[in-house]
Amino acid sequence: MAQDSAPCTIRAPVPLQLGDGKSELGRPGVYVIDVTFPKPLIVNEISFKNFYTAFLTVRIQQRSSTHPRNKRWRTCVRDLQLMPNPHTEDSAQEYVSLHENQMLCATDHVISMRLFLRQPSPVWTTFSIEDLQINPNGRQRPQKGFSWWLNHLPPKEQLRSLSKSLPNPERVSSEVQQMWVLTEVMRSNQSSASVGRFDVDGCYDMNLLSYT
Amino acid sequence: MAPDWLHTGIAMADRRRAAGSSPVPRPPQRQTSGADFLVQAGVRTMMREAVLKLVETRPEDPVAFLADYFGRLGPGPAGGAAAADLCPQLPGQLRLGRALWYLKLAHHSQRTAFNNNLTVAYDCLSAGGKKKKPGLNGKLYTDLLTKICHEGDLPKEISSALLKKIQCRDHEAVPFDVFRYGVVTCFVMMEFRSKADTLFNILDEDSQSDQRVCQTVLDTLKEALVASDLSVPASYLEAGSKLGPDCLAVAMDRALLGKKTGVPMSRNEFLKEACSLFLDKVKPMH
Repeated sequence: MAQDSAPCTIRAPVPLQLGDGKSELGRPGVYVIDVTFPKPLIVNEISFKNFYTAFLTVRIQQRSSTHPRNKRWRTCVRDLQLMPNPHTEDSAQEYVSLHENQMLCATDHVISMRLFLRQPSPVWTTFSIEDLQINPNGRQRPQKGFSWWLNHLPPKEQLRSLSKSLPNPERVSSEVQQMWVLTEVMRSNQSSASVGRFDVDGCYDMNLLSYT
Repeated sequence: MAPDWLHTGIAMADRRRAAGSSPVPRPPQRQTSGADFLVQAGVRTMMREAVLKLVETRPEDPVAFLADYFGRLGPGPAGGAAAADLCPQLPGQLRLGRALWYLKLAHHSQRTAFNNNLTVAYDCLSAGGKKKKPGLNGKLYTDLLTKICHEGDLPKEISSALLKKIQCRDHEAVPFDVFRYGVVTCFVMMEFRSKADTLFNILDEDSQSDQRVCQTVLDTLKEALVASDLSVPASYLEAGSKLGPDCLAVAMDRALLGKKTGVPMSRNEFLKEACSLFLDKVKPMH
């Protein structure tokens, strides 16, 4: 289940502001997004695309496993700085992925989640986060575990006991790699353009056609 | 009485003397005529083109490059302006030669320069004569590829296998993308072969090329070529790790432990095998 994007309801961001939002001139500096889950789940990952949010705090509501009636709020991410400098563009629109190990508390039995977005700088007219996903599915996740070839690098002892009559592996490797790269250069130049042949192995040959 | 022209001559000489004997203040009309001459003869354009090509190509020996460049420009009717404008007057063979020369100006790894030259060469080839319609036909394209292979000293066997994949039929119209692919493939193939040649020299250091080792190296390369897939970036890491010195050394060592055949691999055999690895990856024209 961890690989699939968890079903959830994401509410529209609510500004925290004193007075009437429409008549006040000042822009809100905090938005709150509520996320609710139909059933308790373990949050492994929170991913989203930032849009000019400088700091993020995430609180989760957990249901106690022993007393299902008991619910408590805990902070799992506190004032995470998404933009190194709130006044400048840096990292303002980056994709962010928060994993379990970055969270401050255990994230099991979560029934709802509240995200606090802060932007102290008045430079930006609006800020939010986009494409919020809880436990997103694996399409962009790196492969878990290493491939065999990383686990099977030859050990040093084996390399020391190599036959003396071998050609210089460094030089052989360098040449072979260049040959490999050249092949890739050729492949990367391949285009989808064609000269527009429709026939298969000369089946449109005049002589052949005249017989059929 | 002296004739009129003599009078004027004396008068001019007087005036010149009056202006001072120093040669520095030249008469103004001479200066304009110098500049005019440059414009009229197309020297400016020519020099600019030459310097542009020089900067684009950045050859090791600029003087030799320029000498070659001007030597090429000299006899032909291409007196300075862009080659593409003047190519129509040339017959097929000459156009072919000029296109080939453009293609050879820069190495294919110098992207910008090579791409520019490709365009010029394509324009040059596809500019039809007076009667012909513009456009590059398969015949001229195939001729060009054959010439590239021939000048690059590719063995007949390999070049015909290569051409079989990328050539076009005589009547076919060749779009630029196809032209570029064909030309790049030819140049890369030649470089690939020379790399394979160097590789054989390394493997054959004491003129004792072991067939098993050679075969292992080629097999490893083949594995890497099969493994690398543009759509799976990690496959490149895998392929690269196989071709690293450590893995190659172990593979070669293992090959030496294997059954001995005793037959050394000849250079031609090795090159043929290596080139066939490359040729397998060439996408046939369709």
